[in-house]
Amino acid sequence: MNKDKSSKPAVGEELPALKKIVTQRQVDAYSGVRPKSLHTDPEWAQEKGFKAPLAQALMSTAYISEMMVRYLGEGYIKGGKMSVSFTKPVFVGETLTVRGRIKSRAVEGEKTRVTVDISCENAKGELTLVGVASGIENTCKQ
Amino acid sequence: MVNFKIISYDAVTIGEEFISDDYLIKPDDVETFAYAVDDYDPWYFEEGALGGPVAHPVMLGNQAIMLRHTKYIVPAGLHAKMDFEFVEPLRLGMRVRSYGKVVDKFEKRGRHYMVTAFETRDEDSGAVLVRGQFSQMVFPESGVHK
Repeated sequence: MNKDKSSKPAVGEELPALKKIVTQRQVDAYSGVRPKSLHTDPEWAQEKGFKAPLAQALMSTAYISEMMVRYLGEGYIKGGKMSVSFTKPVFVGETLTVRGRIKSRAVEGEKTRVTVDISCENAKGELTLVGVASGIENTCKQ
Repeated sequence: MVNFKIISYDAVTIGEEFISDDYLIKPDDVETFAYAVDDYDPWYFEEGALGGPVAHPVMLGNQAIMLRHTKYIVPAGLHAKMDFEFVEPLRLGMRVRSYGKVVDKFEKRGRHYMVTAFETRDEDSGAVLVRGQFSQMVFPESGVHK
């Protein structure tokens, strides 16, 4: 949980990317197994025209949060914000790459809010999520 | 008693309000969420600067986006947009509840959407923990859009 405060990434710099493999069991755990669910009922998903069950879009917000908590710690857990669009479905079995690039820093009272351009993309390079996330820099007191 | 009806664009009204069931944040749930998203950051399992293990900031997102299920039968739904503001940490042992209000509905490229603003609050103190807004597609009764 200790964050190195000495090296702030510059505007334009990328945060370490994450790779997330979405498994059916994880989707089951996230969404709760139900019949007639696009997330947990493969036959139902196929009947509705999807090649496989869909991961819940919200799962990708957890991946973004993971990246932001690694970066900002307390400053994201308390005071963080996220605004995203889900641009393409994520299917069970896909691998996502989660990316963040520092967009800006702005004074917010006595603190500095850092905003990050964020995205998730599948193995074909197609964006499944785009948006921004932000949090307060240098609040970790550990 | 709730008289559930199948959701439709016409049935949803701007200003309509939803209230979730209450929910106790339990260690098992944090563990399950960590498994589901493969995120075992120490913030969620150890004492930290925020005074103890906290839950993942987005862990209660499902309580919010399922708000329309408290009034409607929702055969299928796709999530288009999500905004979160993490006001206070979610803590183990908190009993929380989400409150939502439909703030817009619109048609775009032949598809129907509803927009819900929400707050998730600590039931004991009334403090807002998470707030935000989300857009969800409202499918026709026949199933998904072709």
